[in-house]
Amino acid sequence: MDQSHLNMSLTALQTAVAAPILGAFLIPFAGRISTAVRNILAVTLGLVTFIAAAYMLPDAMRGVIASYSISFPLGFDLILSADMLAVFMAAISSFVSAIILIYSVDYISHYENQTEYYTMVVLFLGSMMGLVFSANLLWMYVFWELTAFASWRLVGFFRSDRDVLKANKTFLVTVFGALCMLAGILLVYFDKGSMDMRLLHGESISILAASLILMGILAKSATLPFSTWLPDAGVAPSTVTALLHAAVLVKIGVYAYARIFGVTFAAPPEFSQAVLWIAGASALVSAGAALVEKDIKRIIAYSTVSQIAFIFLGLASGNKVAFIGGLLYILMHSIAKGGLFLCAGIIEQKTHNKDITKMGGLCKTMPVTCLAFAMCSLSVMGIPPFGGFFSKFMVFSGAAQNGSLSVILIFLAGAVMTLLYLFRLFYLVFMGPDKQDSPREGSTVMVASVLALGLIGLALGALIYYPSVYVDLLTNQLGVNLQ
Amino acid sequence: MERGLLAYILIPLLSAIVIPFAARNKPRIADIIANVTLLAGLANMAYLLLNPSNIAESFSNIPGDGFSLLMVFTIYLVALCVVFFSAFFAGPMANRQAYFCLMLISVAAMCGVVTTSDFFTLYIYIEVLAVTSFALITTDDTSAGLEGAIKYFLLTFPASVSIIVGLSLLLLSVGGFSFENVKMFMSAGSPDGAALFGIGLILLGFLIKAGVAPFHAWVPDAYQGSFAPVSTHLAGIVTKISGIYAIIRISMLMRFSEGEAQALAGTLMFLGMLSIAVGAIAALRQKDLKRMLAFSSISQLGYIVLAAGLGTPLALIAAIFHLFNHATFKTVLFLNSASLEKAAGTTDMDKMGGLEHAMPWTSWTSVIALLSTAGIPPLSGFWSKLLIIVALWAGGAKVYALLALLFSIVTLAYFMVMQKKIFFGKKSAAAGISEVSAPMLAPVVLMSAVIVAVGLLFPYFYAYLVETIAKRMIL
Repeated sequence: MDQSHLNMSLTALQTAVAAPILGAFLIPFAGRISTAVRNILAVTLGLVTFIAAAYMLPDAMRGVIASYSISFPLGFDLILSADMLAVFMAAISSFVSAIILIYSVDYISHYENQTEYYTMVVLFLGSMMGLVFSANLLWMYVFWELTAFASWRLVGFFRSDRDVLKANKTFLVTVFGALCMLAGILLVYFDKGSMDMRLLHGESISILAASLILMGILAKSATLPFSTWLPDAGVAPSTVTALLHAAVLVKIGVYAYARIFGVTFAAPPEFSQAVLWIAGASALVSAGAALVEKDIKRIIAYSTVSQIAFIFLGLASGNKVAFIGGLLYILMHSIAKGGLFLCAGIIEQKTHNKDITKMGGLCKTMPVTCLAFAMCSLSVMGIPPFGGFFSKFMVFSGAAQNGSLSVILIFLAGAVMTLLYLFRLFYLVFMGPDKQDSPREGSTVMVASVLALGLIGLALGALIYYPSVYVDLLTNQLGVNLQ
Repeated sequence: MERGLLAYILIPLLSAIVIPFAARNKPRIADIIANVTLLAGLANMAYLLLNPSNIAESFSNIPGDGFSLLMVFTIYLVALCVVFFSAFFAGPMANRQAYFCLMLISVAAMCGVVTTSDFFTLYIYIEVLAVTSFALITTDDTSAGLEGAIKYFLLTFPASVSIIVGLSLLLLSVGGFSFENVKMFMSAGSPDGAALFGIGLILLGFLIKAGVAPFHAWVPDAYQGSFAPVSTHLAGIVTKISGIYAIIRISMLMRFSEGEAQALAGTLMFLGMLSIAVGAIAALRQKDLKRMLAFSSISQLGYIVLAAGLGTPLALIAAIFHLFNHATFKTVLFLNSASLEKAAGTTDMDKMGGLEHAMPWTSWTSVIALLSTAGIPPLSGFWSKLLIIVALWAGGAKVYALLALLFSIVTLAYFMVMQKKIFFGKKSAAAGISEVSAPMLAPVVLMSAVIVAVGLLFPYFYAYLVETIAKRMIL
């Protein structure tokens, strides 16, 4: 019985990684046949990946851990291992990516370079899967760089000088971080003689190696001092690309933190403390930026930077409840932030405008978008009964047991500011007097997908029991050094 | 000299002799003879190296010296790409037969360099190579070509002097030129001052020929001035064989890793690092594509010299691996610059832009090659750079390891600038430009496939390097 489960899980694991990576290279050929074939292939690949990842959820919970490895010299083996954390993350990111692919079919059809877009989104998804499942630090780095490559092409989707510059900036910042991370990984390699995270479980890590790895994580998750690329990446390209970055790419950094410092190494306490302060500063600064910014997508991008800091608060507090909250936060934030970005996409496409001071009264003409936007905002703010409430609550209650009071106060201020900037955004866009000709509601597919995301946020709040049981089990099984 | 490899020298030489007679009336026959000769050699070598049974027998069926074999393979691969490309690149050429003759002689000379087992013969072949390169640069009979050729000649001439003086010192103290002699001399104990000075002079000569900083001044001029396929040939393989190959050889013989000749080893490593830095930073500021690629070459050679200076077995195979990879990705980039020159009529990056739709193949192969150069996984350049860094770290040169790692970001930065200016930039410049013909794309696509394949088949490559080089040569 267990053997057959293991075999099925192994197949699912191989499918989840290989299908999108190999499939991505078929997309250009499909594009030569016809646009429809290409779109169908891309969406299918997204869905297949999501199904494969979701299929592993129950097995992972039962303790069946599929793993697959290809031997490389010098301990550089490619090891894919589907433990609970990996499967959890894979399911979330492949779900959001699948939604993005479906939404893209309509949204992206007005622009150039579509084939490249689909290739890169699917390649991105595949390398994300590879990253999430790899149990070898070196291969984590390999996939890490692959995602950077895909996002370089995606941010540079439009080809004006400004857009290409921003793409190059994104690429250079994340690669710089990644190189620091590689140095940290090599330090671990020379120190412990292995890069296999299953063998390194529970080992200590030197503060230098940890800091170097942290550089990579901060660069990828757009936390201070590397936060500037994300708002830029959010402005230059199309909304879907922005969404991909805000809802999926930045989570790579958070995931790597959970993977490396949450469930593998026991990070030194001073190090975790430093992470909390950096995250606190990041939360405040970016929330402040979101308060004064006028561009709708920049506001949401800054909000992402700020919310990522809350996830770090959960993961770095060294407390079980906070860690569980941090992982749940990843789930809730992906869904809610996805909804916000897609709403912004609809608004931008219909009003041909990104400046929120020139909008107003949209709730009359775009009621469904308005409703979805409101639900997603409430979830990000952390208002019960939305899913975001539970995760934020757990992060705070866990951190309060362990962390210092000043850190908690910083984050409380950050949470209040979240409330303020989202309220300001909502008010300026949807309430108040009309400032322009009444735009029409977006197309059915687009409106349906944002409404779905809003409702999922609500449902996750109502059914918080299921994800929290899973994450609870995960934390108890894998967590290192948690109280 | 490996007798089995003699054919790889003689056959191209023979073809070179046949060409002037066979192709006297029909110049196109020169193309065919040159291509067939190189293709046959490459196929032979590929059969030897890539035979699937190699893995099962852990490369024990491969005779002799894996380093020479790999270099012969690389020479044929790059030369075939260049010759095939130039057969379609050049329109009516005044001295077509001479050009292809010279290419074949150059291949023969390079094979001589990598298969010989004593320093004097090595020197002779390198001089033959220098003369053919000089003549090849003048294929472009404009003033720029002549200027490049004269610069090349004048600047590499002192290098030859340095090598020959070093060789005579070596003869006096070691008593022979052969690699065996030097090896035995080194294992007998610490070398005396005269021998070290001799080796130092030889190294200096090869450093100049390789164009390592601070002796790199001739490189950009020679590459920029010469006929486009010739600059590919020079950058892709000739300067590597005439300079870097001998440096790696000497490092192997001198046992740098065991603390012998520390001053020389330290100097090599320092110059390697300097090259990485100077090349990368200078490349950031270039406006001409070929000059930028030349500086990039200088920077990448720095990695090889840095590893060779360390001289541990891992560092040496990493250096050889990077040498091979560098030959593949530089060939792609230079051939692409030649295609761009043909299509857009210029190599000034500021005058190009928006070519990605007009020339999609050129654009995407450039992306593959540049990512490999910058060490982005899982392409081949990543693995060789990683090996170099791991070797440096394990060998105790941690600062160099860290610097070498971080300079990858500069490499990436100048290539980003290049890709932005040429392929993504404003579209207006792209009007009326279209992709070059399929035969001209074939070598580039082949090389890009090699880059990807070597990256993915890294374990196979690594096993080859360890089994045939590290185990046989160094230990």
